[in-house]
Amino acid sequence: MIGLILFIAVMGFSLGNRSNLSWPEKFINDTVSYVQQWFYKPAGYMAGLFEDIRMMRQLYEENEQLRTTVARYARDRSTYNFLQSENERLKDALGFTQEQMELYNYKYLIAQVISVSPDPYNKTIKINLGSKHGVRTNMAVTTVDGLVGLVSRVSPFSSTVTPITELNGQTKGIAATVTGKESESFGIIESFNSETGQLLMTKIEENDKLAVGDEVITSGLGNVFPRGVVIGSVVSRQVGDFGLTHTAHIEPAAKMDKLTEVFVVQVPGFEELDQ
Amino acid sequence: MNLRWIIALMFLLFLIEGTIMPWLIPDEWTGRIIPQFIFVFVLYASFYAGRHTALLLGIGFGLLQDVVFYGHLIGVHSFAMGLCGYVIGLMFEHKRIPMLTALSLIGMACLLYDTVIYFIYRVFRMTNESYVWALMDHIMPSLFLQLAFSLVLYVPVRRWFEGSYKKKSADDEE
Repeated sequence: MIGLILFIAVMGFSLGNRSNLSWPEKFINDTVSYVQQWFYKPAGYMAGLFEDIRMMRQLYEENEQLRTTVARYARDRSTYNFLQSENERLKDALGFTQEQMELYNYKYLIAQVISVSPDPYNKTIKINLGSKHGVRTNMAVTTVDGLVGLVSRVSPFSSTVTPITELNGQTKGIAATVTGKESESFGIIESFNSETGQLLMTKIEENDKLAVGDEVITSGLGNVFPRGVVIGSVVSRQVGDFGLTHTAHIEPAAKMDKLTEVFVVQVPGFEELDQ
Repeated sequence: MNLRWIIALMFLLFLIEGTIMPWLIPDEWTGRIIPQFIFVFVLYASFYAGRHTALLLGIGFGLLQDVVFYGHLIGVHSFAMGLCGYVIGLMFEHKRIPMLTALSLIGMACLLYDTVIYFIYRVFRMTNESYVWALMDHIMPSLFLQLAFSLVLYVPVRRWFEGSYKKKSADDEE
């Protein structure tokens, strides 16, 4: 009985928004993840090897596709360079401060996944970068496909990532908008339904331009999240619970299982903000 | 084989659960088949080594899992594993259990464990799914994995535990 009370107390205590871990937790985290990284990567390589053999046939088609993409990319690139230089010139002319100039100059830290939690209600991922490498809580974690999650706990040499599929029950939401309609669309990604495998975006205005099939990205408002990270695509849109705003179901873009490498996005000025 | 080796082995299993198992489970079943090898070991400990050992192993390794994969709460697995290990130990400690009974007990204990975890998360509003859905989604599929794992390890584990806690009864194997 005492044990029961004690455990409920511990759970209640750990439930709140704790920003820092205590040193025993950090120590255990770092030691275990140090050992775990010997296992995860080789296992991934082995699995990848078999996958590769199976995928051999599709490679030709994929190569063809990539060629056309590269051609398009090269064309876009020249336009982009031109736009960037013009943008820079205009910012100079308008007298932007240094801080404003570097606002969108994100740094991407490559992190290796060390292990995945074997708990269906708590699918956290461990990565091999920690506070010593400049990782802080609430940094966004992405893959090439899209947003994976947020850094939730940080130890000196490893950190824990909460996937976007686990946002339920927390107060955090992700400000989101739509590619191509950045100034006309806004909503907040709030929860994930594991029965349908879709995210729920809420607080969308009635006359918002968001439509089915649109690509949802982070809006970057608030400057904690980077902007322009792909979250997923809109599957359906409907009137919300109270009838004032609309909600949308979103299919996440990133695959959450079998991750090997992820990027932690460092937003400039974040560290000062944190301290 | 004494308790120290059993703890080392369980730690190894803990590492495998988090690192190698995600790669072995096919894509369609990710998130539905959940390895709980440590828990199976805790149950074996409660059969053959006594309820207090099982309680301590359960609390210890549960806490390890809670701390390492700290997402929402600390103490869920610790509590559930300790409780299940202790309860099963209380009922079946040092009794001579035939293999099939042992396996079905492990199955039932796994159900109990998953149920306890589900309801803790439910109470703290970390999950909104119905129990039936959770049962069909991951509790039943992972039950089979646990049963297969415990079947594979039944004979060696029994020998180890009985070697470390010298029992008077001669062991007869199935």
